[in-house]
Amino acid sequence: MIPFMVKRLILKDWYFQRLPILGAIGMGAIALLMVSAGGEAAFFSGTVLLVTVLIALGVHLVMATVVNEHTAQTLPFVMSLPISPREYTAAKILANLLIFLVTWGALSIGTGAVILGRATVPDGFLPFAAVILGEILASYCLLLAVALVTESQGWAIGVIVTTNFLFNAFLFWVAHMPSVAATMGTDVIVWTDALVLLLVAELAAIVFLLAFTLWARARKKDLL
Amino acid sequence: MTLAIRLSAVGKDYPHFVLKDIDLAVPEGQVMGLIGPNGAGKSTTLRILMGLVHQDRGQVEVLGRAMPAEQTIAKRDVGFVSEDMRLYKSATLAWHMAFIASIYPEWDAKYAEVLVKRFGLRKDQKVGRLSHGERVKATLLLVLARRPRLMVLDEPTTGLDPVARHEVLSSLMEAVTDEHRTILFSSHNTTDIEQISDQITFIDRGHIVESGDKELFLDRWRRVRLEIEPGVALPVLPDVVSTVGSGRLSIVTTSNYDDAMSDAWRTAGARVFAVEPMTLEEIFVARVVNSRAPEAA
Repeated sequence: MIPFMVKRLILKDWYFQRLPILGAIGMGAIALLMVSAGGEAAFFSGTVLLVTVLIALGVHLVMATVVNEHTAQTLPFVMSLPISPREYTAAKILANLLIFLVTWGALSIGTGAVILGRATVPDGFLPFAAVILGEILASYCLLLAVALVTESQGWAIGVIVTTNFLFNAFLFWVAHMPSVAATMGTDVIVWTDALVLLLVAELAAIVFLLAFTLWARARKKDLL
Repeated sequence: MTLAIRLSAVGKDYPHFVLKDIDLAVPEGQVMGLIGPNGAGKSTTLRILMGLVHQDRGQVEVLGRAMPAEQTIAKRDVGFVSEDMRLYKSATLAWHMAFIASIYPEWDAKYAEVLVKRFGLRKDQKVGRLSHGERVKATLLLVLARRPRLMVLDEPTTGLDPVARHEVLSSLMEAVTDEHRTILFSSHNTTDIEQISDQITFIDRGHIVESGDKELFLDRWRRVRLEIEPGVALPVLPDVVSTVGSGRLSIVTTSNYDDAMSDAWRTAGARVFAVEPMTLEEIFVARVVNSRAPEAA
């Protein structure tokens, strides 16, 4: 059962982020329409837009709900409420994950539907897309973890720059795996060992990051 | 006597600042003013009280609850306002009022409306568009309308114009007409503290210099102007905090004046031509300078 104050803080963050959520879902829907429209240019533009929307939403959420709580000095107001530091951390993780997962989940389902439902996109693209979407989710969790543990705008920006730089390298690396490259352009869905291992590694990283965040925050003695 | 706040041998270590063995007791129904210069440890002490900073040593109890362990329960009855506290800029005052009302069942909507009018605020205005004074009043409104048993206020009047300061202090004085409501109020502005406090605590360089009843401070501290003939030595008297001389004139500051002191000076050959009461600010400065003297020596 979620404590009352944790619920209140989650609802608060939902309220403040309602427009970015709607904006991301709207832009994501446009991206999926472009992907499904046919033609190489529309496909690549739509894919880039979809990835950009998800990364931008993740960055916005963490900066607005975690980093900004420090820089805008609203943290003393929140922590003056009847809430413990552990509950505050839980509220921040849950609010962020729920908001991001709703958008990420909706756009992931949309991506799957476009891949499987439209003849213009090969079905074999699905495992690759799943790994890439998993990487975006894991990178988001890393950013959230670093922001909550360090409470530093500088560290958060460092993670944003690094993960965005490495994302392109990751995209290139996965796309050029021989087993992936061989099936990605076909209508056969092949979950190779390497792709399954990557998905498991992404899931494990997410679980570790969230657990580490709770542990590290529990050890903090000074909240301001 | 029920204590609203009790700190016993509380300490906190930072690389460039140490809060040393703070002992403080605030009885229920009292207003205590915590006076200290910038960097004295006022904010650290209040943050420890609120569980925002955890003490390295000592015990803290707020409304009978151990802090920081029981902060969730304790904070239900505590209102905290600090000079560096901000509300959400993109939300209106009405949103903040609804948010606080949804958390505290004690929220008094009628009193909140009274305070909105008294403070000259507009509920539909976004907090980001409020002036500094309006923002402080809005923050205070959110605390006062909850009617908490304890209010911890960290320099709430800093930067306020005289009218806003008067409105804030009046509302605080109104809040403590309920004899069970307690306020701990920090400031380096002694005028504000003098207006509303029953008890005074001086803090400097991380330790408490003195703590006691405000009226006793004002009754006991005196500045005595003496005229001394050449060759006359003043007797060494207890509770003399400082003696400043210029030619034949001397000004003696004492923390516990009584008429016997004047008699002793007269007997020694000095002429006492003025015994003056001191303001809280003068007492504070004299006390802090005196407490620093052994360190400087």
